[in-house]
Amino acid sequence: MSEESSPLIEIRNARKWFPIKAGMFSPVTAHVRAVDGVDLDIQRGETVGIVGESGCGKTTLGRLIMGLIPRTEGTIQFEGVDIYSMKRKELRRRLQIVFQDPGGSMNPRMSVRSIIAEPLIVNGLADGAELTKKVADLLTIVGLKPNHMTRFPHEFSGGQKQRIALARALSLDPDFILLDEPTSALDVSVQAQVLNLLDSIQKERGLTFIFITHSLNVVNHISDRVAVMYLGKIVEIAKTDELFANPAHPYTHALLSAIPQPTVEDKKKERIVLSGDVPSPANPPTGCSFHTRCPIAVEGKCDVVEPELNVVLGGHKVACHFPVEAGGSLPMVDD
Amino acid sequence: MKTSEFIVRRIILLIPVMIGVTVFTFSIAQIIPADPAAILCGERCGLVDPVTGKTMLELQRERLGLDEPVVEQFRLYLVNLAEGDWGDSTTYNRPTSEVVRDAAPVTLEMALFALLMAYPIGITLGILSAVWQDQVFDHISRFLAIAFVSLPIFWLAMMLQLIFGTGPDVGGICDPIFGTEGGCLPIYGRHDTALTYPDRTSSLCDTAISGIACYPSWYPSGGTGFHLVDSWFVTDEALANIHPDYSSNSKLFNDTLVHLVLPSFTLGIASAGSLLRYMRASLLEVMNEDYVRTARAKGLSESRVILVHACRNALVPILTILGFSIGGAIGGAVLTESIFAFYGMGNVAVDAIINLDYSVLMGVTLITAIIFLMSNLIVDILYGVVDPRVRLE
Amino acid sequence: MSWEDGSEDRAESRRRILERAAQAKYDLQRGWKIYRRSLLAVAGLLMVISISVVSIFADDIAVEHPGRNLQDTRDVWHIDYEPRKAAPFSEECDTRNQKVSLTTLRRWDANGTNALSPVKIAEDNSFYEDILVVTEFKEVVDRNGNSISLDLVYLDPTNNSYFWIADELMENNSVTQIKLIYKFENEEMHHWWMPEGYDVCIFGTNDEGQDLFSKILYGSRVSLTIGFTVATLTVIIGTIIGSISGYFGGRVDEVIMRITDIFFAVPGLILALAFVAALQAIDNLAIPLALAFLPLILMLIVPFRSAIISVFMPGSEDTLSRIEPAALLAVGLVAVLLLPLGLYGIWEGLFETSDTRTWRLFFTFIVISVFAGLLTLDSRMTKNFSIEGFSERALNTLNWKNPYRYLTLRTAIIFFAAIILFSWSDDADNQIVIIDNFDRLWKIQIALVFTGWPGYARLIRGQVLYVKEMTFVEAAKSVGAPSGRIMFRHILPNAWAPLLVAFTLDIGGTILSASGLSFIGLGAEPGAAEWGKLVSDGRAHFPQDYWLVLFPGLAIAYTTLGFNLLGDGLRDVVDPKNRR
Repeated sequence: MSEESSPLIEIRNARKWFPIKAGMFSPVTAHVRAVDGVDLDIQRGETVGIVGESGCGKTTLGRLIMGLIPRTEGTIQFEGVDIYSMKRKELRRRLQIVFQDPGGSMNPRMSVRSIIAEPLIVNGLADGAELTKKVADLLTIVGLKPNHMTRFPHEFSGGQKQRIALARALSLDPDFILLDEPTSALDVSVQAQVLNLLDSIQKERGLTFIFITHSLNVVNHISDRVAVMYLGKIVEIAKTDELFANPAHPYTHALLSAIPQPTVEDKKKERIVLSGDVPSPANPPTGCSFHTRCPIAVEGKCDVVEPELNVVLGGHKVACHFPVEAGGSLPMVDD
Repeated sequence: MKTSEFIVRRIILLIPVMIGVTVFTFSIAQIIPADPAAILCGERCGLVDPVTGKTMLELQRERLGLDEPVVEQFRLYLVNLAEGDWGDSTTYNRPTSEVVRDAAPVTLEMALFALLMAYPIGITLGILSAVWQDQVFDHISRFLAIAFVSLPIFWLAMMLQLIFGTGPDVGGICDPIFGTEGGCLPIYGRHDTALTYPDRTSSLCDTAISGIACYPSWYPSGGTGFHLVDSWFVTDEALANIHPDYSSNSKLFNDTLVHLVLPSFTLGIASAGSLLRYMRASLLEVMNEDYVRTARAKGLSESRVILVHACRNALVPILTILGFSIGGAIGGAVLTESIFAFYGMGNVAVDAIINLDYSVLMGVTLITAIIFLMSNLIVDILYGVVDPRVRLE
Repeated sequence: MSWEDGSEDRAESRRRILERAAQAKYDLQRGWKIYRRSLLAVAGLLMVISISVVSIFADDIAVEHPGRNLQDTRDVWHIDYEPRKAAPFSEECDTRNQKVSLTTLRRWDANGTNALSPVKIAEDNSFYEDILVVTEFKEVVDRNGNSISLDLVYLDPTNNSYFWIADELMENNSVTQIKLIYKFENEEMHHWWMPEGYDVCIFGTNDEGQDLFSKILYGSRVSLTIGFTVATLTVIIGTIIGSISGYFGGRVDEVIMRITDIFFAVPGLILALAFVAALQAIDNLAIPLALAFLPLILMLIVPFRSAIISVFMPGSEDTLSRIEPAALLAVGLVAVLLLPLGLYGIWEGLFETSDTRTWRLFFTFIVISVFAGLLTLDSRMTKNFSIEGFSERALNTLNWKNPYRYLTLRTAIIFFAAIILFSWSDDADNQIVIIDNFDRLWKIQIALVFTGWPGYARLIRGQVLYVKEMTFVEAAKSVGAPSGRIMFRHILPNAWAPLLVAFTLDIGGTILSASGLSFIGLGAEPGAAEWGKLVSDGRAHFPQDYWLVLFPGLAIAYTTLGFNLLGDGLRDVVDPKNRR
C-alpha cells in the first residue's frame, strides 16, 4: 500500500537560475529565474500535463526532472532517491524524454537503426543480431515497418519521425517518459494519431508521462492532471476535468478563455485578453508574479505577499490570494 | 553604451593580447640560436678587462642582463620596452627602435596605398558581379577573385616589373603604347635613384653638415617617413639641392607616387580578390532585404536602389575585413619589398632572420602586432559608429 | 563456441558496414551532383588531378633528373656538360651539347667516346645515361669556343653512337677539352607528350644547363607534399584544440581563445618567419622517450576525473554538473609533469637487463593492459560496476567469432598504441625521433603548422558550439551517451563540412606561403627543385631570362588556383542551402 501512495517522482522546491554575466571575469549581474520553486508529485501510471506560455520555464523544468541540467536548489526524487545521486545509467534507463522537434532530435548522419539502437548500445544492453531484432520490435510497436531501419531521418515525415523518437525512448523500457511538446510541430491529423499511440503504449506498459505543451486541447485529451506554469512557478494544479470546469487561478481563466469554442449556442464565453507582457524572468515582480497582469489584483496584497500553492475546493491547488470560486467568472477589465 | 566607453573597453581588451605578443617575441629570442653578447663583442670577446678581471663576453652578458634568471630577463625586457629601449641591432649597429621607426612608415605607406587601390577595384567588381548575378561577367569576376588570391605575389611583382618596367625586347608592353623607353613605370626604389631624398637617412637634412633645413620647423625633423606626405613639405631650399629635375613639391610627390604604383598594386591584388567576394555576397544578401524591396516598390530606378539603398548597407560588413587586409598587406611586404628595393619592415625582418638579429626580429614582430591591433581597433570603432547595434554586445 | 555460432553476428556487422558504405555513396553522389553544376569547380578539380598525376609520374615524364649537376656526373669521367642556358623551344634546346675531356681520354688511351644522354634516375635511385644515336653532327669547339674542323672528330661508320677523335687532335697537347654539338634520334629519349622535333627543354634551361621543365615537374612533389602535410597537421591540431574549446566551454575556452587572439595579432608570414628563426638550431626533431607516455597519461586522467574531483573538490561529485575544467587541467598538468619521471626509471631499469624482442613485446603488452585496467578502475565506474555478467561481457569484448567487431576506433587506438610503444622502445638514445632529417623544408612546414592552427581551432569551435546546441546532442545525452561518443558520433560528423573546405583552401594557401618562404631564402636549399626557390634562383637573371621566373611561378599559381577552385566548389556542396 505504501508503494502505491508514494509518488514516482517527487519534486520539492526545484529552482533553476541561469546566471547572466557579460564576460569571463565580470561578476554575475542577475539571474534568469527559469524555474523558481516548483513542488510537484507524479504518481505511478498517471499523465501530468504542464501548460504555460512559452518562456514560462516548463521546458527547463522538464530538463531538471531528466537531470540534463544541474539544479540550483531543491530536490528531485525518483522512487525516493535523489536523481542527482542516482547511478547515471540507471537514471537514463528509467527516465526517458521525447523532444519537441522530431527532426532535430535525430542525428541526420545516423540510420534509424543506429538512432533507436543508441540507448541500447551505450547502456550495453544488446548487441549484434539481438540488437537488430530489438530495433525491429520497437519499430513495429510504434507502427512502423522493420525495414525502415536502414533509412535515414530525412526520409520520413514529421509524424513518422516522432514515432521513431518514441521508439528510441521506449528502447530502454523506462518507467517514465517526459514528453516535451511532442505534437506541437505536427499537423493536427497526425497529432491525433501520435496522441492515440501514446495513449495505447501507456496503457500497455503502465508508463508514467509528463506531457509538456502549450496546447490546452492536447492536454485535455491526454492528461489525468494538469499543472499551469507562469514565470517559473506552478500557479494551479488539478485533475484535468476539474481544472477545465472550474479554473481557480485568474491566469488559468485567461488561458481557458483563449480556447476557441466550436459551438455557438454554448453559454457565450467572454474572451479574457490579458493586458501587458509577461515580465522578464530575470526581474520577476514582487509578491504574486502574476499581479502585473491580473484583472483582480489587489494593491498592497498581491504585489507584496507571494501566495502559496494551497488547496482550495475540489482538490485544486492554487497559488492565489483571491482564487475564483467554482462557477465564478472574472470581472472584465475595460481598456 | 556610450561611444567613449565602447572605445575604452576595446582598448582594455587589447592589453592581454599585447602581453601575449611580448611573451611570444621574448620566447623566440630565448630559443634563437644566437648569443647576442657574443655578436656584440665580436673578436674582443676573449679580452680580459683589467679592472674587473672579467672577459668582454661576461661583461656584455652582464650588460644585457643575460646572466639573470629568465623571469627577471622578461621583466627587464618589458621595462625596457616601456621605456623605449628595444635593444640594439647587431646588423645595423643602431638601436632597434630606430631601425623599426625608419622601416615602419615605408611598409605602412605601401600597404595603405595598396588598400587605396584594392578597395575601388574590389568593390566595383563586387557590385557589378552581384548586379549581373550568374551572368558571364559574374562568372569571370568570381574566377578573378579566386585567381587574385592564388597568385604568388613575389612572382606577380616580377611579372609586373617585366610587363611595365622593361622594353619590348624583353617583354614589356609600355613602349609601343606610350612611346616610353624601357617601360613606363619605375620598378625599383621609393624614388628616382638620381635624387637624394630629404629624409632621416640622408646627410642632406643634417643641418650640422649641410646647413639646410629640409622641413619647416614645426615638422618632424627628417620627415615622417611617409614620402607621399613629406614630399609636400620639403622646403624650397632642400628641393634645390636634391636634383635639378625635381624643383617643386608636386614633382617630388609625383615621383613618389609612380614608384608606389607597382609595389602597391602587387600587395593589393589579393585584398581586391577577397573584397570582391565579400562585396558580392554582402550585396546579394542585402538585396533580399525588405527595405530594398520596398525601395524598388516605390518605383525608384534600379541604379538608385542599388547604389543608395543596397550598397550603403552592404558596405558596413566590408569594414571588418579592412583590418585583416592591412595585416595581409604587411605580411605580403615581406615577400615583395626586396624585389622592389623598398627598405621597409619586410626587408628588415628577412635580414634579421638571415643574420639572426634577434632584437630587430622581436621589434618587427611587435610593431606589426601593434599596427595590426590598432588598425583592427580603428575598424572596430568605425564599425561601432556606423552600426550602433555592435555596441550593445 | 565455434565459428558458425557467430554467423548471425557477422551478417549483422557486414550489413552495418554495407549500410555505411551505401550512405557514403549516397553522400558522394549528391555532392557530385551539386559540384558539377559549377564549371569553375570542375576545372579546379581537373587542375588538382592533373598536378597530382604529374607529380606521381614525374619520373616518367621528366627529361632528366632535377638534381643533375656537375657534381653528380663527376664519376662519369669521360663526359661532362657545358652549363648552358637556353630559352624555351630555342635551337640550342634541340641539340646535345657534350663535353669531352681529351686529357682523360689520353690517360685512358682511348681514341673515342660514346654519345650519351643527360643523367637519368633509375628505379633504384642510381644515376645512368642512355647511349644516343647521332643523326646530324653539327659542330666541334674547343674550350674557348673556337671552332675545330669537323674532320678531326667523326662518327664510327658502323656505330652511330661512337665518336672517333683524330690522332692529330689527340696528340695536340694544347687542346685539353672539346665540346661536341649534335642532333640525335632515340626512341626512348623522345617523349610522347612533347611536340614533334623537340626532345628537351620546352621551358628552357637554367644557367647550369638543367632542364627547367624537369625541375618544375619534380617541384610539384615538394609543393604537394608540403601542402598536404601542413594542412593535415594543422587540421588535426586545430580540430583537437577547437573541439576541446567548444565542447567544454567556460574558462578553458576563454584561455584558448585568448591564445588564438595573440596569434591573430601578428601577420602569419611574420609569425612564421620568427618561428623559422627560432627553429634554426634544431637538427632533428626528437622528443624524450618519457613523453611517449603523455597520451597514455592523458587517457588516464580523463576516466579518473571523478576520483580526482572527489579528492580535490569534495561534495561536487554527487551532481551531474560538468567537471570544473580548470581543476582538471591543473591536476592533469601536475600528473603529466610528475608521472613520466617515475615511469622513466622503471623503463630504463627494465631495458638494461633484458633488451630482447620478446621482452619488448611483453612490456608493451603489460603497459597497455595496465592502462586498460586503470581505465576500468575509475571510481565512478566501480560504483556502477556489477560483478554479475562480468565474465560474459569480458568474453563479449573478445568475441573472436565476429571479425567485423574489431573495426572500431577503440581497437585501432589500441593497435596503434601497441605499434608505437613497440617501435619506440627500441630507441637507444631514449628519445623518439619524429623527424630524422629536420631540414629547412621541415622547419617551414612546422612554422606554417604553428601559425595555422588557430584559424582551424576557431572554425571548429564555432561549429562545435553550433552543433552542440542541436536537440540530437541533448537526445544522446538523455540516453546516457558518454562525452566521447557524443563528440565523435554526434558532433564531429555534423561539424566537419566547413573544415573540408578550409582544408582544401589551406593546401593552396600553404603552397603559396611555403614557396614564399623559400623565395626569401628560408625554405628549400639552394638549387633544390622547389618552385619558390626556382623563382628566387631565376631572379639573378631577371628580366633577361624571364622564363626562369615565369614558369615556376605559373606552376605555383596553377596549383594554388586548382585547390582554391576545388575548395570553392566544395563550399557550394557543403552549404546547407543546397541540401537536397
